[in-house]
Amino acid sequence: MRHSLGIVLFTVLVTAFYAFVGQLVPQKETYPPQSTEVGENLTTSEMVDVGREIFEGKGTCIGCHTIGSSEAGRFPDLAGIGARSSSSKEGLSDVEYLAESMYEPDKFIVDGFNPGMPPADKPPISLNQQEVLTVIAYLQSLGGQPTITMQTKLKYAAAIPEDVATNVASSEEMGGEALLTAQGCAACHHLTEPDRLVGPSLFDVGKRLTRGEIYESIMDPDATIAEGYPPGLMSATMNGTRFYEKVTLKQLESMVNHLASLDGRK
Amino acid sequence: MKFDRRYWFPLALVACLFIPVLVHAQIADETAYRAFPVIGSRVAVWAVAELHLMFAAFVLAVPVFVLIIEYIGYKTDDRRYDQLAYEFTRLLSVAFSLTAALGALLTFMLMVLYPKFTNYLISTFGWTFFPYALLFFAEAAFLYSYYYGWGKFPPRVHLALGVGLNLVGTAILFIADAWVTFMMSPSGISDSGELVNLWDAVYNFTWMPINIHRLIANISFGGSIAAAYGAYKFLGATTDEERAHYDWMGYIGSFIAICAFLPLPFAGYWLANEIYAYSQNLGMTLMGGAFSWLFIIQAILIGMLFLAANYYLWIGMERIEGAQRFRRLIKYLLISVTICVLVWAIPHSLVATVEEARKMGGAHHPLLSVLGVMSAKNTAVNILILTTYISFLLYRRGNKEATVTWAKTGNLVQFLIFAVTVAFVVFLGIYGYFVEAKVRIGLSIPQVLSVLFAMVSVTVIDLMMFKKARERGTIRWGKMPVRAQYTLFFIAISFTWLMGLMGYVRSGLRQHWHVYGVMRDTSVDAFTPTLGYASYVISIIVLIFFSFIAFVFWLAGLSDSKVGK
Repeated sequence: MRHSLGIVLFTVLVTAFYAFVGQLVPQKETYPPQSTEVGENLTTSEMVDVGREIFEGKGTCIGCHTIGSSEAGRFPDLAGIGARSSSSKEGLSDVEYLAESMYEPDKFIVDGFNPGMPPADKPPISLNQQEVLTVIAYLQSLGGQPTITMQTKLKYAAAIPEDVATNVASSEEMGGEALLTAQGCAACHHLTEPDRLVGPSLFDVGKRLTRGEIYESIMDPDATIAEGYPPGLMSATMNGTRFYEKVTLKQLESMVNHLASLDGRK
Repeated sequence: MKFDRRYWFPLALVACLFIPVLVHAQIADETAYRAFPVIGSRVAVWAVAELHLMFAAFVLAVPVFVLIIEYIGYKTDDRRYDQLAYEFTRLLSVAFSLTAALGALLTFMLMVLYPKFTNYLISTFGWTFFPYALLFFAEAAFLYSYYYGWGKFPPRVHLALGVGLNLVGTAILFIADAWVTFMMSPSGISDSGELVNLWDAVYNFTWMPINIHRLIANISFGGSIAAAYGAYKFLGATTDEERAHYDWMGYIGSFIAICAFLPLPFAGYWLANEIYAYSQNLGMTLMGGAFSWLFIIQAILIGMLFLAANYYLWIGMERIEGAQRFRRLIKYLLISVTICVLVWAIPHSLVATVEEARKMGGAHHPLLSVLGVMSAKNTAVNILILTTYISFLLYRRGNKEATVTWAKTGNLVQFLIFAVTVAFVVFLGIYGYFVEAKVRIGLSIPQVLSVLFAMVSVTVIDLMMFKKARERGTIRWGKMPVRAQYTLFFIAISFTWLMGLMGYVRSGLRQHWHVYGVMRDTSVDAFTPTLGYASYVISIIVLIFFSFIAFVFWLAGLSDSKVGK
């Protein structure tokens, strides 16, 4: 009994000691990065301020890059990047070089460093094009003169909207039927009648195709072409409307579920 | 063999695992989160998940070394080993039931409190749940056949059951690790999170490093808890014979814990390396961002563990006749361990007032910050491991004297291996200060390999040198002071706390993501709490765990009484 009490007391004491050690280190709560408001009409100097905010916040750039540090860091120090970026890679202007560094970071690796920077437009960073423009403005300001504007066109496709990256947790509540209408599917496919339009009727698609086949028909329309219909048309339409960039997993599931339930009965 | 009524309870618990899957279909809806009363959903799931992991680690680890001990007993025909293996196994029965119950509770809680996230994981990994549940049944069948069949099956059949138990347990671990590591380093999915290839989702960047890290850590953790059981029984022993037995049991448990602990940092390097390879952002969050201070706490914990492990060996040498000749070396070993622990625990930047920071010229101490970087820390850890290994080597040699003709040469070669290894590790540590990051990061690999080489080669030489050694005296089992038993408790508590801490960082590393880069945490708990808060939660979890463990020990004790009668 004496030893049992001793063991209990000892366990509590050792545990309390480690809990105490945990109080001795800096205490900081870390919150999810907040999106910065990026107006379409920002001046270049305003872009620099917004860009710095994104650089230090949502962009998480400061986690790996330093500015003016004498210590060799994981990724290149960015002091003076605005002055040297126009000559960093042959054939690229400073804006093009900085944009490439953010969208395709592995395309050109500075000597002495390893690849590994994630594309800034992809999760977990997910900067949109406006945010990238402001970060470039900020980088240009480091030792150089910012020239970029909000109207500057970068060659890269529009960044994936944040709601795609985070689609699973998104809050849209539209049903599958409403989504099919909203996405314009009904423009080419009858959903309630057996008649063909531009594409085959879907009113009994749940009887003809499995859920997996329906999913494939949406995500890769040319994988299997219904007899009598031209290949390439649907995929061109879907790409043209940027369906694949906009649709979320949840929406896709709702649409597939609804289509799978269509058994030809009105 | 007649089906024993005792089988029903654990098997019913295992069957509970299926209930959540059936219930899930009924309650899955569009709600993303539900709140758990008072403590909130995050802490509730955190506590249950960690407790489940701790028990699971114990249940998976014990059969590994029990099988080895049983095999040694079988080969040497020494009944003591068989008895020891059985005693360890006795702890498993209740622990397995608790693991299953906590696992079912965890699944329920995830479905009720995080339905959308759970739905996503089920939609991604649904097909892995069936083998998982079936393996769980197989685990129950193997475990209870192994335990209740002790002494009833022919030895080889019984050993085969042990092998089956371990294989199934490892498979269960690997499947569960796939879900956990997918959350950290998802792969095999499209940009929108849709599953593209299940095998790619399973075999993601951190899957194998976590598998290996957990396998080793589980053995270490399981060994420490088993040693604590030996200490608990030692303290309650009434005869010298009992004390001798439980002293030996505690030693074997701690030996297993320390042996598995030595390579653990290397597995940790690999895991960290894979995290960086998957995402530099994730790596920086781990080591240089929000969690960098967590590794100072980790350094203190591991430092304490190394100190305690060495201390236990040094006390243990007191009961070995002939080991007194090594006593003079202990102070040097202590100095080495202490310096290494101090270096490891030095932070790169200091918590300072504005005035102090001004005097220092920033948050970095002009002298100490030099030691607060990876070059110094890696060097310290490697030397710490070597020092602990030397302590063990001396302990092992305690009452032995080599009789081979080349003993002097052997000792000299071993000394040279140590000296060259230490010099090489220190050289690489210093060299790291003068090269760019790309080169510096890679230096940890030759450091680790050289230490591994030293330990393996010295062990091989030692085994050959002491094969027909002369005994200088006996080991007086049972002649251990009470403080040695408390040292074993200290090791077990520290291990458990460390496990809680590393469980926290593995999960917390994702920060505001349920599945990193794919599924954002939009709940009220999306922020990462302070390390102080995490320390309190971990401490409470550890205390709950030891309350359960006390229950397991008590039940195992009841079983002892029955055997005694």
